[in-house]
Amino acid sequence: MTWRFGLTEATFEPLWLTHWVLAATLALPILFGLLGALFSPRRTLPVALVCVPILLTGVLLLMEYQQAGLLRWQWQVAGVTVSLRLGGVSILMLLVTQWVGAAAALYTPGHLRLTNPGKQARWLWPLMGVLISALSLIWLAADLLTLYAALELMGLAAVGMLLLSGKPAALQAGMRYLLLALVGSLAYLLGVALILGYWGQLNLQALAEVVEPGPVAWIAAALIGAGLALKAALFPLHGWLTPVHESAWTPVSALHAALVVKASLFILLMLWNILLPSSLFAPRFVAWLGMLAIVWGGLVAWRSDSLKTLVASSTVAQLGYLMVAFPLIIGPDIPPLPKALAWEGFWLQLIGHALAKAAMFMAAGNLILATGESSLKGLAGTSRRLPLSLLIFGLASVTLMGLPPSSGFTAKWLLLQAMVMTQQWVAVVALLMGTLLTAAYVFRVFRYSFDETAPRHHYQPLAPSMDLVALALALAAFALGLLAHLPLALLQGGGV
Amino acid sequence: MNAAWLPLATLATSILAAVVIFLLPEESRRLRTGINLAAAVSKIILVALMVGRVSQGYQDTFSFQIVGGIDFVLRADALGVMFAGLSSLLWLCTTIYAIGYLEGAANRKRFFGFFSLCVASTLGIALAGNLFTFLIFYEMLTLSTYPLVVHAGTAKALAAGRVYLRYTLTGGVVLLLGTVMLYSLTGDHSFASERGLAPYLNDHRGLLTLIFVLLVGGLAVKAAMVPLHGWLPRAMVAPAPVSALLHAVAVVKAGAFGIMRIIYDLYGIELSVELGVTTALAIAASITIIYGSLRAIAQHELKPRLAFSTISQVSYVVLGVSLFGPFGTIGALVHLLHQGLMKVTLFFCAGNYAEELGIHRIDEMDGAGKRMPLTSIAFTVGALGMIGLPPVAGFITKWYLGIGAIQADMYWVVVVLVASSTLNALYFLPIVHRLWFRQGPAHGFGEWPKEQRLGRLETHGWLLWPAVFTAMVSIGAGLLAGLPFSPLDWATRVAIGEYLP
Amino acid sequence: MIASFNLIEGGLALCLCVAALACLFDRHLLRASCLFVVFALFMTLAWWWLEAPWLAVAELILGALLTGASLFYALRAYRPNGAASSHRANATPHYDSFRGSWPHGLTRALLALAWCFMMWGAIRFVMPEMVYSPAEHPLVMAAVVIAATAMGAFALHHHLLRRLLAFNILGSGVFLLLAGMAGTEEGAQALISVGLAIAWLGSLLGALLIRHLFLLEGKNALSLDSQTKEQPQ
Repeated sequence: MTWRFGLTEATFEPLWLTHWVLAATLALPILFGLLGALFSPRRTLPVALVCVPILLTGVLLLMEYQQAGLLRWQWQVAGVTVSLRLGGVSILMLLVTQWVGAAAALYTPGHLRLTNPGKQARWLWPLMGVLISALSLIWLAADLLTLYAALELMGLAAVGMLLLSGKPAALQAGMRYLLLALVGSLAYLLGVALILGYWGQLNLQALAEVVEPGPVAWIAAALIGAGLALKAALFPLHGWLTPVHESAWTPVSALHAALVVKASLFILLMLWNILLPSSLFAPRFVAWLGMLAIVWGGLVAWRSDSLKTLVASSTVAQLGYLMVAFPLIIGPDIPPLPKALAWEGFWLQLIGHALAKAAMFMAAGNLILATGESSLKGLAGTSRRLPLSLLIFGLASVTLMGLPPSSGFTAKWLLLQAMVMTQQWVAVVALLMGTLLTAAYVFRVFRYSFDETAPRHHYQPLAPSMDLVALALALAAFALGLLAHLPLALLQGGGV
Repeated sequence: MNAAWLPLATLATSILAAVVIFLLPEESRRLRTGINLAAAVSKIILVALMVGRVSQGYQDTFSFQIVGGIDFVLRADALGVMFAGLSSLLWLCTTIYAIGYLEGAANRKRFFGFFSLCVASTLGIALAGNLFTFLIFYEMLTLSTYPLVVHAGTAKALAAGRVYLRYTLTGGVVLLLGTVMLYSLTGDHSFASERGLAPYLNDHRGLLTLIFVLLVGGLAVKAAMVPLHGWLPRAMVAPAPVSALLHAVAVVKAGAFGIMRIIYDLYGIELSVELGVTTALAIAASITIIYGSLRAIAQHELKPRLAFSTISQVSYVVLGVSLFGPFGTIGALVHLLHQGLMKVTLFFCAGNYAEELGIHRIDEMDGAGKRMPLTSIAFTVGALGMIGLPPVAGFITKWYLGIGAIQADMYWVVVVLVASSTLNALYFLPIVHRLWFRQGPAHGFGEWPKEQRLGRLETHGWLLWPAVFTAMVSIGAGLLAGLPFSPLDWATRVAIGEYLP
Repeated sequence: MIASFNLIEGGLALCLCVAALACLFDRHLLRASCLFVVFALFMTLAWWWLEAPWLAVAELILGALLTGASLFYALRAYRPNGAASSHRANATPHYDSFRGSWPHGLTRALLALAWCFMMWGAIRFVMPEMVYSPAEHPLVMAAVVIAATAMGAFALHHHLLRRLLAFNILGSGVFLLLAGMAGTEEGAQALISVGLAIAWLGSLLGALLIRHLFLLEGKNALSLDSQTKEQPQ
């Protein structure tokens, strides 16, 4: 299975151009972030200009990957080996990161112009840059040390961004998030210490060769799993997620829900795949938690009166879909066909959710900004006055509901098919229940918005870039449903 | 020669129309009307082209791969083109009607945008070449009709929308489960495949039955079969053109059409009979027919009565499908078209009465024939057709269904047909009687609930002519049933294709 | 067994334990922060003893100097004459005055126990000799004690600054444990230095947050946790 993560030998050496592209991929976001802090752009155009080279690096890496297949880098720095690899999953997630990051960046100037948050706003840019760089590094890293450094960098940047709104509620939520994330990373570190002490390997590929199942692998997996689950807001450890989003800025929420929690989940999946190649109970346990997450997240979102809480709780439920796929991907005795289906479904769901959730946060942010109210009741009459924002919300929620022809549907289809083939009926029921629960809370929003009896009040006009960016994201999530083979073709592992 | 562009272009016309309408500002009424009509007319032309191609023996197919083992397929086969023809013809009528109906109302952009999407989904359902594609458009239909149902934005409309979603989304989920299970069992199975699912019969009999129950159960929600019909009468709060569309073409017919696809093109009629599911389906359809008629008699308002009539009438299609034999099949297919024509007429007329005179209840209709003669004639034609009197199209349906039942040795079905016709007469004839033979406000007794003079004629021309047109087509389909390309002719062609491959 | 017992290492371990425990259980915040700096200095010595001079330097700068500075920066918020602390003027802000409740304590204690169990497992399999002669590696022993206590303290405490302190000490315990299990080869050193840097950044961010929160709200615990009453002194 480790070949799926690109942890195999590469056929070709990367060209010298590729080295530079890699360096640019990792360094440019930070560089431009610092520039952003210096100049604090108020218009969309300069931001767009800056995004172009970053996106270009991603495209160049993609072309390189398609030509040469898996690429590996290894450096010795002061006796420590740092290794990176560019496999199918890596390039796919790298592209998603860059595009969603660019979308959030393009959304930001309009948002800042309308909200006038004050001086601390300029810090958003470098933090965003660090976040994108750290995320890119996570997708590429192939040893535990680099992963750890990138994970922590990402976590701190994420905390910093969430705090920027400066409201007491945001600070409270941010403090809780910070403490939990830090302790989570210590748990991860202890797990890594165990691995390093027992097998003496930090490199993932070498580790995959020497690991044998046993208590050490279990304890290491448990420690790493607990730490990362805390960071990824997996079900019973999701308590910090909703308050954090409640008061954060819209582009920050979008980035966080779309990418940050996914990165921890990615590491978790990859490391468990190495440590627990044939464990029966751990993935099952995660899957059970995932089913609970689907139901619980759906119920909380259904009961919530605040739009942001609704969107944030839906993340908990949507992560549940990914957790349910764990036994199919890393469990033993799964025939190759359902395994491949689940693998594709997992990534399609992850990408679809990233795009749709970012779009949804932006649409929700637009609605809240325009109406000046954050409760669902405040949405009354918006279907007439703010049709575009609501349409974006609708497109995004079609993906979340998993209704056709969105990417959420295709992903759910693949997962369902894998589950039916392996006779996991409880998971099937959970997935279908999830659809209905999602529909229940999403259409609650629409029911309020279609209310025509609401009193008219003033609506703040929005910057066109805000709606357009969100629309593009929502449409991308939508279109990936029928064009699913494009991203999934990249997932065929590291081999050419 | 495969003209892959043809089904795709047909589908794209309405989707493009929807997109363009969403992009236009709310105020540009004329341009929107023009786009609506142009799209509707060009779609009729495209469907006519497809009819020509199919009658020459081509099956134009457009397909591409979504992921490994799952294809998106649009195929213009005889059955699909039949349904596509119905929807494109009635779309034009309903669009014209809706333009007149919503004159001066709010949120017209949203209405027409989703209206076009709804028709696009219906067309997609018609042309879907496998179950996966069918499912895509089936769910799209659910989503695109929701804004139409809650269009008024009142508490009642919103509550109706909630009920509608509860039923249809649950049905959709069940359908999804059935589809996934079928794909896991057999892989991608095209509707055009000759084999049917017969090779799986020996090993997976129970599973096949279960999948059939799931699929048909999911579809029966939209086809409004008892006890899954609860959403339909409530959805009557929608504007009249939406009700017409929901009842005559889009939603209920999508369910009925889906059941046809499952039995004829997926399982194959022999296999369905072998599994014994057709008898169960026939019983369920009969119960629905009788129950719907009985409930219709109890209604005092016009639109709910028509709604329960729809519940009853759509199950004729299901009943015909579940009769083994060519005549039952022809009856089912032709009823799909005829019921659409007649029911849309009735809803147009009901809308006209409500708009022009403010009539909602049946006891307010006394003497309306004098005030609105053309509308009332159209209504009478529709009502007589529903009862099944010659020469209106409804007669042909019941005739073929009766013969089909006798051929299939299911004599109790004949009893159901006779009983249901009697019940139909019981709830339609009093209305007709009130229209023509009672003295009412037009004769100087009392007043209309809310009279408006909408046009030079008895009502606004945009409202009147679609109703008159569909009524004329209903008669024409009955009188000229023997001509080529009539509904009956086409249904016979499909049935022959089914039984004599 | 006695012969292999190294006096210096044992003394260092003892000092570490005492400093850590004192820091964790002292309710006087200023004194606890001072104790933390002392603890960090002992850590520096420990790294030196484990032949990791670079780590010792990193610990000195990041742990003792910068983290200590962050903590004192956070403490300035609690001065009685602080800008927005008028409504708390009669409280003694350098003193943690939270009292826990039973259910809260129990659930948190269970979490801490789970952590200890995992640690035991880690040592049991990586350093099996520890099970038979626990005194052979006094530093590792100290690390276990420190990490276990700090996790308990982190879970049980309400006061934000004390939780931050507990986190820092927990971090040091984990680093020591890592060094004990994996040795001080380059990979382990790199991991620990990254961990140190992260811990400092986290503490700095936390200190900033504590300060802002106190200035804005006059709170020094998280809302969910402060359901347990803050008893006036």
